[in-house]
Amino acid sequence: MDAPVDAVERFTIQSESDIALVRRRVREVAQELGFDAFATAAITTAASELARNVWTHAHGGDSAIARVLDGRRKGVRLEFRDRGPGIPDLPRVLAGGYSTARSLGLGLSGSKRLVDEFHIESTPGRGTLVEVTKWARY
Amino acid sequence: MKRDSIPILRVGDTLLITVHTELHDTVAEAFQEDVLGAIERSGAAGLIIDISGLDMVDSYVARVLADTGRMARLMGTRSVLVGMRPEVAATLVRMGYPMEGVETALGVDDGLALLATARVR
Amino acid sequence: MARLKLDAREIESRRAFFELTDDDLARLASLRTFADRHSKEIVDALYELILGHADSRAFFSDEAMVQRVKSLQREYFMGLFAGRCDVPYVEDRLRVGAVHERIGLQPKWYIGAYSRYLRLLLDRMFADFKPADAQAAFSSVKKLVAFDMALAIDTYNVAYLDTMARQQAAIRELSTPVIRVYERVLLLPVVGTVDSHRAEQIMEQLLVRVVEEQARAVIVDIAGVPVVDTRVADHLIKTTAAVRLLGAETILTGISAHVARTIIQLGVDISTMHTLTRLADGIELALGLIGREIRPAEKKS
Repeated sequence: MDAPVDAVERFTIQSESDIALVRRRVREVAQELGFDAFATAAITTAASELARNVWTHAHGGDSAIARVLDGRRKGVRLEFRDRGPGIPDLPRVLAGGYSTARSLGLGLSGSKRLVDEFHIESTPGRGTLVEVTKWARY
Repeated sequence: MKRDSIPILRVGDTLLITVHTELHDTVAEAFQEDVLGAIERSGAAGLIIDISGLDMVDSYVARVLADTGRMARLMGTRSVLVGMRPEVAATLVRMGYPMEGVETALGVDDGLALLATARVR
Repeated sequence: MARLKLDAREIESRRAFFELTDDDLARLASLRTFADRHSKEIVDALYELILGHADSRAFFSDEAMVQRVKSLQREYFMGLFAGRCDVPYVEDRLRVGAVHERIGLQPKWYIGAYSRYLRLLLDRMFADFKPADAQAAFSSVKKLVAFDMALAIDTYNVAYLDTMARQQAAIRELSTPVIRVYERVLLLPVVGTVDSHRAEQIMEQLLVRVVEEQARAVIVDIAGVPVVDTRVADHLIKTTAAVRLLGAETILTGISAHVARTIIQLGVDISTMHTLTRLADGIELALGLIGREIRPAEKKS
């Protein structure tokens, strides 16, 4: 994750309607970067899932949208941060193992398949950080 | 609280609802209420949900749609989801939500034709 | 066509880097009368250079074109003294750049022309103004010209990336021909190895065509795929699921004895899909799905 980063836009997620705001902005940025319909739908959906996780499981947090450049490649990097309960046993949750955290796990594993780079850090009691990147392709 | 209800059309014994806007937050609840209320009042045998206007369906929306179908089924109404966009279908499948158990058709006409046949499973 | 979209933020960033300040723009605006006074002779001198050089003259087919271009050039020249450098200004410059790129006018001609502009302006500024004022005026013009040159080069980069993108898309489409065999029935013969990247492209293209054609049945023939392993099978399953979400059915044909053995031995479950060996059978099945059938022609006596 060493690509130089351009303009960063930050959003707080304090209500359910903030999810829609983040989603819309991600869509705009993706389209500005020239993402095709499939890539746009993928990153917008991933953003929606991850923003919803922040709202539903952590009851609030922030997100950031950045355009990234890596030589010839351009893409969008999203960050979702919260100070929620954190996720214990992350690998199992990502594999859809816990029924109680099912929607969380599904949202995470689903999003993971929609992006090119996926990074997650979570400490029970401290919070969670999810970073995803999607590159434009020809 | 006043809210705009989504227009529901009647085609013979089938209800047709076209989703124009994002199906999130309170809109989703209102959508379900409106649809099920209409089924209750009309006793329609079929329901077609046209989502050609949706450029994104995440797991939340997918659940709302699938649940609505299941609720309708409990009331004796068979539902068909039509008009899904290519990028929406691709995203759902990539995420791992192929929405099995939800009947689909290309558009309203195909949906009506499907409803006229016996349900496969 | 990918358009280079420069928003206010990007323009601010460039202006800062090119050190193009509001003072510079104000100074340029104050030079309008000066510019207008000299615009004809400067543009004429510029075209003297362009038309005097064999390679650049080649772009001009006739005198009428030269006159047309000269008058556009005067507008462009005066644009340097409008005193603005905002989104509309930039969009206008980009439009000009796009036109030049389209007609094949390379950056070298641009940059050579800018260089001449600057020399022509320099001479006249020092002729008309006190040295200190001329110096300041020239400094401002240089900055804006550099800014404009960067835009001109950007349009070339964008056009190049665009060409590459279009070529890649064309290659993709050529390698995945989706054929309409009958109304509402599509056939996709897959030939060659299918890696994840190609599988994604295949699925996307297929989905777009299904909606475009309102196809109710899609035949995917894999007889030409040399290796069908769990990954390939997985892609086929995903594609079938996506096609189903659109409201169409997938028929997989070209399953050889070898592939049938491999799939079962690998434990892949594709039993819910329509699978066949022969393409002809797949076509018949597809037609059946749309209420058509193939039967022997009636003999005419």
